[in-house]
Amino acid sequence: MLLLLNGCTKEVTIDIPGYEEKLVIDGQIETDQPPFVMLSKSKEVYAPTDLDAFLNGFITGAVVTVSDGTTTVQLDELCSDNLPPGSEEIAAAMFGISVADLANYNICAYTSFNTAIWGQVGKTYTLNVTFEGQTYTAETSIVQPTTFDNLYWKPEPDTPNHGFSWVTLSDPANQFDGYRWEIKRINTNPDGTTVDAGYTPTFNPVFNDEFFDGLTFDFAYENPHAIGPSVPEDFRFLYPEGDSVVIKLSKMDRNVYEFLEKKYTQLATAGNPFATPTNIPNNIEGGALGVWAGYSPSFDTLACYE
Amino acid sequence: MLRLIICAFALLSFSSFSQETCTLSGYITNAKDGETIIDAKVFIPSISKGVLTNTYGFYSLTVPCDTYQVEFRIGGMDTETKEIVLDGDIQFDFEAGSDFQEVDEVIVNANASDNTNSTNIGQIELDIDEIKKLPAFLGEVDVVKTIQLLPGVSSAAEGGQGFYVRGGGPDQNLVLLDEAVVYNASHLFGFFSVFNSDAVKSVNLIKGGMPANFGGRMSSVLEVNMNEGNYKRLSVKGGLGVISSRITVEGPLKKDKGSFMVSGRRTYIDVLMKAFINDTSPFAGSSYFFYDLNLKLNYKLGKKDRIFLSGYYGKDEFTFNDPDGDFNANMPWGNGIASLRWNHLFSSKLFMNVTGTFTDYLFSFGSEQDEFSFRLKSGIRDIGGKVDFTYFPNPRNKIKLGAHYTHHTFTPTSVSASQEDIEFDTGLAQELKSHETAAYVLDEFDLNEQWKFNVGLRYSTFSHVGPFTRYIKGDISSPDTTIVYEKGDLIQFYHGLEPRVSMRYLLPDNSSIKAGYSYNYQYVHLTSLSAVSLPTDIWFPTTNIAKPQIGWQGSVGYFRNFKENKYETSVEVYYKDMRNLIEYKEGALPSDNVNDNTDNLLTFGRGWSYGAEFFLKKALGKLTGWIGYTWSKTERVFDDLNNGEKFAAKYDRRHDLSIVASYELNDRWTFSSSFIYATGNTLTLPTAWYVQGQDLLFDYGQRNSTRMAPYHRLDISAIWYSKAYKEKEDPTTGKVIQVKKRFKSNWAFSVYNVYNRANPYFLYVDNDGDFLQGDFEISVQQVTLFPIIPSVTWNFEF
Repeated sequence: MLLLLNGCTKEVTIDIPGYEEKLVIDGQIETDQPPFVMLSKSKEVYAPTDLDAFLNGFITGAVVTVSDGTTTVQLDELCSDNLPPGSEEIAAAMFGISVADLANYNICAYTSFNTAIWGQVGKTYTLNVTFEGQTYTAETSIVQPTTFDNLYWKPEPDTPNHGFSWVTLSDPANQFDGYRWEIKRINTNPDGTTVDAGYTPTFNPVFNDEFFDGLTFDFAYENPHAIGPSVPEDFRFLYPEGDSVVIKLSKMDRNVYEFLEKKYTQLATAGNPFATPTNIPNNIEGGALGVWAGYSPSFDTLACYE
Repeated sequence: MLRLIICAFALLSFSSFSQETCTLSGYITNAKDGETIIDAKVFIPSISKGVLTNTYGFYSLTVPCDTYQVEFRIGGMDTETKEIVLDGDIQFDFEAGSDFQEVDEVIVNANASDNTNSTNIGQIELDIDEIKKLPAFLGEVDVVKTIQLLPGVSSAAEGGQGFYVRGGGPDQNLVLLDEAVVYNASHLFGFFSVFNSDAVKSVNLIKGGMPANFGGRMSSVLEVNMNEGNYKRLSVKGGLGVISSRITVEGPLKKDKGSFMVSGRRTYIDVLMKAFINDTSPFAGSSYFFYDLNLKLNYKLGKKDRIFLSGYYGKDEFTFNDPDGDFNANMPWGNGIASLRWNHLFSSKLFMNVTGTFTDYLFSFGSEQDEFSFRLKSGIRDIGGKVDFTYFPNPRNKIKLGAHYTHHTFTPTSVSASQEDIEFDTGLAQELKSHETAAYVLDEFDLNEQWKFNVGLRYSTFSHVGPFTRYIKGDISSPDTTIVYEKGDLIQFYHGLEPRVSMRYLLPDNSSIKAGYSYNYQYVHLTSLSAVSLPTDIWFPTTNIAKPQIGWQGSVGYFRNFKENKYETSVEVYYKDMRNLIEYKEGALPSDNVNDNTDNLLTFGRGWSYGAEFFLKKALGKLTGWIGYTWSKTERVFDDLNNGEKFAAKYDRRHDLSIVASYELNDRWTFSSSFIYATGNTLTLPTAWYVQGQDLLFDYGQRNSTRMAPYHRLDISAIWYSKAYKEKEDPTTGKVIQVKKRFKSNWAFSVYNVYNRANPYFLYVDNDGDFLQGDFEISVQQVTLFPIIPSVTWNFEF
């Protein structure tokens, strides 16, 4: 181990053959929410990771439809510089940027304000994307949600006024259950806005019930915002007393779960020689990357007081 | 086919000479310590007949009754001739070195001319004394590292676990320690092998033309035999090195009747780490060490019976303790191996060896964090027995036959986890039980002076039996189901015939052409999730899903010696075909082994390898060594990987060159060096990036399509020996004479990676910064393990 610790690392330029540009579909549909699809293209690994170029490079001109088996709706192309009045906040949350930034980029997506195609529990939705003469299809379901039994905050003994948030969960027995865990702090800023504009996944946000099928148990989850060099080590991952947090626990079908599981594995293990290269499987037919994901969330709010 | 072979054996076995024959047989031992000598040659020049001793030092030669001058040719000694009146069957046990001095200056290979004479193709014996002269990494002389310098054998990476022979995987090597199977022959992730050089007597590698008495693996056999111990007197040897020390004690149980050998070795990296790392370091609670113990006892029960008991126990242990006390982990792994053997001579022509073996390999990992605890175990336990007969009907003919049985218990993964009083459901411990059997017969015979054959047939079976739980994974949103097999239920049965042939055609000018063909079944697999080999790799048996690996190999070679066997050369070409190879499916994770059968995560494919090996060895003289060069290509094709297209194996190497030289300047100094060059390993790197859900992700391209930079390295060493003799006045003559010192020592100085080459261990794509903050960068990073490393070891013997 001493030898391993002494190993040195240097940057090298090496030929990585086999690049092929692919369409990337990032689509989702959630209970009581419109379908939302963003299209982009993959870039060669050595290509510059320019955020501005990427944000302005979303694909327009595709034909995107969503069907629940009885109703089929063609989604509208929606760009950040051409939003319907009153939809800015929703769009900013969807795009993952602030309302102020909307005007700075030309971010485009496909969605529909036709509530007939908004997400409903128990339905299966088929996505169809036609672009540059190629058609891509994918299918996802919105499964039954699971609600929390209880939420509570418990201070850590050695860290004053900070603690983990805990949940009591009863997992349904004899079925596959895949979960995604996200949080949003809703403490208000002086200007009246909330601290977080959107939900942030916790550190290991995706898990399934393989080890706790049918059990009722308590577990702690971390504060994904309490990380980084500015946070003292003893306070990392902890929620300060007084925070108000909305917990979002989404369920999904097995294909979406496997996409997310492998995605987070890749994020955690990219570059690790002790893991196989994780190619992320997806539920899209036609050769595109990305996912078409149906989510079935439960929400609850936790006030961080003992 | 079988009938034909049996008839041929019978014909050759019972073809008798017209005149009466007598059998000369016995054991050859070293007069100095009583150790039996393997591959010593007993030769009768007048009739040009000879035979080599077997693994137990036994020989048998049946010739017309007469009086002969019989030569005993033993490595490291002058040839000695004895006149033997062979008027009946005679057991003649010969103590080599009793009538003459050992030749200290030169290590002579006893079977130097066997390079051209024998039917052995792709077979190399290594002299342990030669190995000890070569440069050693951190001063640890290593058998496995040395065989990686031979053509056709390569390592996974710098310090990689296991070795690769002619395009086969590390699981395709049958590693035997005193006839017991060693599953994981590595310490410290492969930086050292489990073979303590002080405890090793002989090393034999078969990489092609595997004889029928070996089986169960497709690519090679590495036979390592331990020292038996000194029959004459108590002796001690050992060494003090920079990271480890070792000591060996051997001596007679009863003089010339029985002996023992005990050898131990331990690293002190953990002690060094404590000295260099202060209490506030994040590694303050971490430590690593390994140790191993070798034991051998043997006893001659009479002229016809001997028993041997061999044992090995070795363990690696890595521990990590978070200085804050929040997290601790512990990872021990190791082998326990034992074999009990009984040699019996039914007659001077019929030798029997009965062996009972026990092998246990266990890897475990345990961690605790707050109230959560996690434990994982993986291992194998084999209990086996075999009986082997060797029959010497006449000097042109040697017949071997035998039967082997092994009961395997594999535990690919056993996991338990709990949080306070809640025990998580981690499924049943996967334990797979199976029976492996084999029977074989082979005949090594001379058709005439030019043609020599080794023809054999092996029949093997494998039964996967209960208890066993088969998991059947559910579809979307549906639960898993299981099939439960009760104890003793036969789940799957496999069997197959494995023909083996090798031949030699002797040419004039001390040269020969040899060819070999072997067909092998392999019933065990090694599954690896990582790009580098680790002790976490899982051994897995054949099941109803994982079929046995089946392979065949054909090889042809031209062998020629020059200058009275001073130079040995060979050129061999080979082709190897391998079916039912296994790999994990795309994206499989270690946790997937839990609550599932490992074989559900596997995918199956085919591989092939072909290449040419060139070998030039200087066996005699002050300067000895070899040059080996291999050109090869190794590919795989799996329906479920790489879109079903063929891809290069991760250890596919187009060029592999090694140059090894050792020079004895005088009786005090020996200098050695080794240089290796190898085409870089292949690996899979991402070809593209894309964004999903505000995360930057990678898309990986063709499997193993990227190749690392070539690997090359020069190591040198110098060994300084203390004076072997002291001057003493002869009390009778008053003259000053030289007397051999009992205490001998040497200092071995070694420099690893002399020109400090930054060889790639692995490459990875690094992503730095935050994409959403606009400061994200992607780069390819190369990790190098070892810079130039000098070391010194003090070895002693008395």
